[in-house]
Amino acid sequence: MTTFATKNEKKALIERLNVFTAFALGTIAAIVVWRLSLAFLPADSESAPLFTREDKITLLSMIAWFIGFMTGIGALIAPFRWVQGKDLTHEENMFYAGKDLGIKRYFRYTTDHKVVGIQYLVITMVIFGIGGILAMLIRTNLGTPEGGWIHPQAYNSIVGTHGIIMIVGTIIMVTGPFGNYIMPIMIGARDMAFPRLNALSFWLIVAAAIPLIWAQFIGGISTGWSAYNPLAGQAPLGMNGYIMFICIFAISTMVAGANITTTVVRMRARGMTWNRTPIFIYGVVASVALALPAFPVFFLSQVMSGMDRALGTSFYNTALGGSGWLYENLFWIMGHPEVYVILIPAVAALMEMAPVFTRRPLFSFNVAVMGIAGISGLSVLVWAHHMYMSGWAPLLSAPFMLTTELISIPTGMLFLVLVGTLWRGRLWMTVPTLSIFALLWNFMIGGITGIYLSDVPADAFLHGSMFVTAHFHYTLMGAGLTGAIAALIYWFPKMTGKMINKRLSWIAFWLTQIGFNVAFMGMFFVGLQGQPRRVEAYAEIFNKGNLITTIGAYTIMIGMLILLYAVIDSWRSGVNAPMNPWQAKTLEWTVANPVPLENFEVLPIVTSDAYGYGKAKS
Amino acid sequence: MSLDTHANPHHEHPDVVGSRNRLGVILILVADIAFALSVLFVFFYLKGQNVNDMWLPKATEDTPAIVPLSSMSSWNVTAIAAFGLIAHQFGLRGVRAANQTQLKLGGLVALIAAVVATVYQNMQIANAPFTFYSGAYASCYYLITILNMVHLILTVFIALGNWNRSRLGIYAHDHWHVDIVNVWWVWMTVSSLLGAFALSFA
Amino acid sequence: MSDLRSPEQDYFKGKWWKRKDVKQVIVLWIVFTAMIGYFSSKFQVIAMGNPASETMENVINLITLFTWASSPVAGFVAALAIQALSQRRHHGDNPPPEAEHSISDSPRATATWLVISALLCLFALIVGLIALQKDDQALLDRNAIHVNVTGQQWAWNYDYPGSTGVRSNVLHLPVDQPVVFHVTSKDVKHSFWVVQMGVKIDANPGYVTQTAVTPNKIGTFDIRCAELCGLLHAYMQNKVIVESKADYEKWLASQPDTGHTTWTPEGAIE
Repeated sequence: MTTFATKNEKKALIERLNVFTAFALGTIAAIVVWRLSLAFLPADSESAPLFTREDKITLLSMIAWFIGFMTGIGALIAPFRWVQGKDLTHEENMFYAGKDLGIKRYFRYTTDHKVVGIQYLVITMVIFGIGGILAMLIRTNLGTPEGGWIHPQAYNSIVGTHGIIMIVGTIIMVTGPFGNYIMPIMIGARDMAFPRLNALSFWLIVAAAIPLIWAQFIGGISTGWSAYNPLAGQAPLGMNGYIMFICIFAISTMVAGANITTTVVRMRARGMTWNRTPIFIYGVVASVALALPAFPVFFLSQVMSGMDRALGTSFYNTALGGSGWLYENLFWIMGHPEVYVILIPAVAALMEMAPVFTRRPLFSFNVAVMGIAGISGLSVLVWAHHMYMSGWAPLLSAPFMLTTELISIPTGMLFLVLVGTLWRGRLWMTVPTLSIFALLWNFMIGGITGIYLSDVPADAFLHGSMFVTAHFHYTLMGAGLTGAIAALIYWFPKMTGKMINKRLSWIAFWLTQIGFNVAFMGMFFVGLQGQPRRVEAYAEIFNKGNLITTIGAYTIMIGMLILLYAVIDSWRSGVNAPMNPWQAKTLEWTVANPVPLENFEVLPIVTSDAYGYGKAKS
Repeated sequence: MSLDTHANPHHEHPDVVGSRNRLGVILILVADIAFALSVLFVFFYLKGQNVNDMWLPKATEDTPAIVPLSSMSSWNVTAIAAFGLIAHQFGLRGVRAANQTQLKLGGLVALIAAVVATVYQNMQIANAPFTFYSGAYASCYYLITILNMVHLILTVFIALGNWNRSRLGIYAHDHWHVDIVNVWWVWMTVSSLLGAFALSFA
Repeated sequence: MSDLRSPEQDYFKGKWWKRKDVKQVIVLWIVFTAMIGYFSSKFQVIAMGNPASETMENVINLITLFTWASSPVAGFVAALAIQALSQRRHHGDNPPPEAEHSISDSPRATATWLVISALLCLFALIVGLIALQKDDQALLDRNAIHVNVTGQQWAWNYDYPGSTGVRSNVLHLPVDQPVVFHVTSKDVKHSFWVVQMGVKIDANPGYVTQTAVTPNKIGTFDIRCAELCGLLHAYMQNKVIVESKADYEKWLASQPDTGHTTWTPEGAIE
């Protein structure tokens, strides 16, 4: 541990705080506030139309946990030092960056973007692990028509938790690990623009996770991930955990969005003009920049949900003048851009890999940029296609159908770039290469089924059915997660210094892709037959499709477990990776393994784009 | 990607750091602006829907009818905030002209304005003649005033830091912090104004 | 010098459609388009089963049409992908030699792609608008009977305006008779879905929403709730019995007056 020349009290405080003090302080704060509010909060008054005391106690305890945790990790030191006028010194900043801290830096408020990237990678894998277990519980329950062995309340809670945890997992799966670890090196920067905000965005996610786990023990999240009001208003106390989780996560997304965008806009290496900036960077920036205006709306929707529960206000309580349509609007104003927040960086990562593994230039960089920009721009104008059947504004169906179908044009551009790059390339058969093909297949199915859903009369049949569930799994999992796993395998050598086990990752790829298509083809089928979403039991005619889906789901599970083993095993005892195993031309492959603290001794100057493959025309 | 290298000093120029920080703050404000505009949307949507005729509940046996409050107090808060903004800009102009005294004075007045506005806003919330249960208008009223309250508390924190740091002479060499605090003041005043604007349409 | 042509120059000799790889793609494209269109539409039509209204027939036709309209796009992408896979593949730990060319753009291909995708998008929009127009007109049918539908956790109730206080938890409808549903909810949001008739509308507390359909087959069909509404959402389903006009009248007359005051929703056409 670094010792400082003049060791005063404040510096010692920085050294003492870590994840353990954070958990301790958070827990103590939560317990103290819980006991205090239990003792002193007045009972609900007779005239009040709603019971709110329990919700007040729960929410207050969770807020106390949050503040305690963030204090305990050391997030508040820098702001208070700013007010005091004692800014952090260079030594302190280097300590924050994790200089000479070894393994301990992963358990602290460490600002080095590479540490944050690894932290994000691990937490993403944990999230997918938990979400995957929940998915298997759902599919096992649905293996037989009666369902039955999971209580309906628990089942609904599993569905809701699976949904929200996977949404969060997929939101951070590319921009978290690779946006933090790889992106700054790729643009030739020493760190992010705001290293402390970077640490903040990660630890906020840890702080957010606890209320979600907490929620499972106080009634669960029995409303599905969308937590529609007024259903959420009558849900058990666990709903407060969801509310806190979303609020904290929204702050994390906002902080990360401002940070990553600023880094890319202001800190690219000299000579890296916008048309020399790798396409992956565009994907990451589009994703986080979209989240900036979108997530505060989600945040607000949950703040009002919490106020309805804990204070008795009536934003969504129709008896007192609230409106469920209000919630739906706010939720989907966030909810649809969010889909592209997930998808764009994953597709961009594959576009980044395509030239490397076909040994030819990226086909039509400009079209790729236009596609990403077009999707981002249109995605904020399509939210009401989730509400065609809500009846809130029948007259708006046609305009929203227009915007939704327009999005297929920029989406088609991304396809053009990928198939164009495959055309006349020299295919190097690796798992990332196969992932490009898998993405084309899955995203094509997800995209075309999206066109059916965008059409109002067809949606009158398909809305709220398993067809929708299958559709968005094809886009988020079939396209998004496939891209993220390819990114993991591609950047694994740089992030861990090891090569990932080729054979195992190959087997894992095929198992997950085959299992995935079996599972969700079955789900399309029962959806078209008329099985509603989020049911724990179903009629006889849906037997076959559900059984097929369950078998597919188990295949995915085996594939994912093999991938997990490959990652852990290769990380611990894999073959050491060379500096540039893929012979790629972006900047992250020009730094040594392991990447030194500030990445570059001298900052690079860029003189061409990163796609100079292939033999130039003679 | 072909490379060339050049020696780069580890210490960046304050202007570079300043413009970077400024962009970061503006991006965070984009999120806050989205939040504030959504609050306005909530207000006008619920007012327009008037579900079950409960935007302003009529009198019942137990409770009197809810009548919209005068938005005057919200405009007052906005006026105090605007005064704080002007004071801060006065200080900013001072530091740009290398006048540290003017900076300190402006910062102090801005801090006092922020505290006064916070107290006043608190009174406005506490004195509202209805409860959380009193229909959609009351809910929106609390939402808007509480949002403004949170903004004002943040402003007190920031204004305190700004004044304290100028008192310590930290802004003698570069003053990009003061510029960024100004960005915050502008947005805080505008958001307060938006809230008062909405409440004028009850 | 002239006989020292590179393979790349050879490649671009002659018309573009005479190139070997282009021909492969065209053949694959035709095959894949036919296969994708045929199997996907079969898959959909089998799954969706027998329609019980013209609305549902339109939905099935619409989905089939979209499938055939998009299968050339899917077939084209698949053809390009398979053609790429059939080229020289390289396995191993070191990269293959660089491609023979360094082409990074093709304005002609891009423009063609954009124009075609814009046309397809326009096509989908027009088809959708026409169908939407039909559905909207059904709401205004003057000959329609009206049924008020109330969702509550976890059951549906049907009130028959025009009759006196007839309330049923099984929906009876006369065949070939337009019907307009006025849907609302007592507690949380539900979604009223008459599966085989292809109509759905949410039941919102505090609001009344409308949808319309004309059943054209006698039989028993399914009504399911399509919006998660709490504990027993999966069981919130019952039947709609479509019968001949005479049977329907008989059933309506045989129903006891439950004394339940029939609510008249806002905007109901009476």
